[in-house]
Amino acid sequence: MKPAWVERFGDEVSTEETHGGLAVGVPPELWVEAVTFARDELACGFFDWLTGVDELEMGFAVVAHLYSLERRHHLLVRTRVPREDPRLPTVTGVYRGAGWHERETFEMFGVVFEGHPNLIPLLLPDGFEGRPLRKDFVLAARVAKPWPGAKEPGESGHGAPSRRRVRPPGVPDDWGPHA
Amino acid sequence: MDLPPPGIGPLSRLAPKPIKFVLNWGRRYSLWVFNFGLACCAIEFIATSMSRHDFIRLGVIPFAPGPRQADLMVVSGTVSDKMAPAVRRLYEQMPEPKYVISFGACSNCGGPYWDSYCVTKGVDQIIPVDVYVPGCPPRPEALLHGIVHLQEKIAAESLGDRYTGTGEPVAPPPPPRPLSATVLRRPIQPPPEAEPLSTEAATPLVLDAAPGASTQPMPPAGDAPQASPNAATQPVPGTDASGRSTTRGDHDPSIIPGLVDDEDDDQIGRSSS
Repeated sequence: MKPAWVERFGDEVSTEETHGGLAVGVPPELWVEAVTFARDELACGFFDWLTGVDELEMGFAVVAHLYSLERRHHLLVRTRVPREDPRLPTVTGVYRGAGWHERETFEMFGVVFEGHPNLIPLLLPDGFEGRPLRKDFVLAARVAKPWPGAKEPGESGHGAPSRRRVRPPGVPDDWGPHA
Repeated sequence: MDLPPPGIGPLSRLAPKPIKFVLNWGRRYSLWVFNFGLACCAIEFIATSMSRHDFIRLGVIPFAPGPRQADLMVVSGTVSDKMAPAVRRLYEQMPEPKYVISFGACSNCGGPYWDSYCVTKGVDQIIPVDVYVPGCPPRPEALLHGIVHLQEKIAAESLGDRYTGTGEPVAPPPPPRPLSATVLRRPIQPPPEAEPLSTEAATPLVLDAAPGASTQPMPPAGDAPQASPNAATQPVPGTDASGRSTTRGDHDPSIIPGLVDDEDDDQIGRSSS
């Protein structure tokens, strides 16, 4: 499939052979075009999933996994949007099944899919604030409660701590009762 | 809409002690259970309801048509914040008196998801829980133990006490007793001994034919426990559950875990009252 991508998009795309199949990185402007190309030209009729990856200062990667039932090849289409203004055009016009996946990616990472018909939270309970799969999301339960899996005295805040108390991973210094 | 608070009729509240005992006795052995299975613990619940562990022998009847027909709700699995309103709603649909068993670490306290952003840290934050069964997931024997514990609690309660906070318990709460897991395991039940036929030659006749026959005949039923001392489901040697079944004939109350070490559970007024 790699020659087809190079022939179609030239050096706009980067291709990488991974363990499961070809992974194609495209710029966000070509996102819908690339997915449409995969569906129409590469016979990837099966939309498996779409999700995001928090890559910290590099922004958010949005990954879609496509599969061709006829030719039996897997395809990963990737793009990356900036962290400050994560926006990406929707692919619900290409695959209707992408609707829920984009809603989930929107509520978990805050990536706004422009043109989505109904971009509201899907899985989180009503009134949830924050984007829980972002790496800077603080798990508040870690602040309020020590790790419950302690087996030794001194672990998890019981007894005399043998070492300096360390903050749980991901908790800022000014949170919690021991701030 | 203003509904009256849940309660019971005056007859049940003011009933004399023997009647309350009978009511409790009927209640504890006909628990229609509503399985709120949310994760892998539900598989253990299903295993408990199936033939090997078979909690119907304890009077727990699985697969109630819905929460409105159920007495007991077993919350088995991870309760998420999104699911919590549904748990609460279905609990409120159950008729009084109702009981809840929290099965597994997730529904007890959050379990391995103790720091998750979306998991309720224990189902007791939304509904009252009667019995907690620890484990991740607990074995079916643990659920049997929890059910027996709940039945002891039902037997000791007074419904007037349950709803008004006054009144005296029907029976004192049972003392804690060591109940190892091997006691809960059901020993192999040999088939009942057949009535000896009028002619005693029937059994030796089969045994005499054994050396010549190509297949071994089935040994008599009474020899079955000795014939398989290394079977996987035998209880651990040294517990009092072993060897008991051969002496009791058809009905063996030792298969009921609560009756293994003291057999006066159902007598009115235990020795301390």
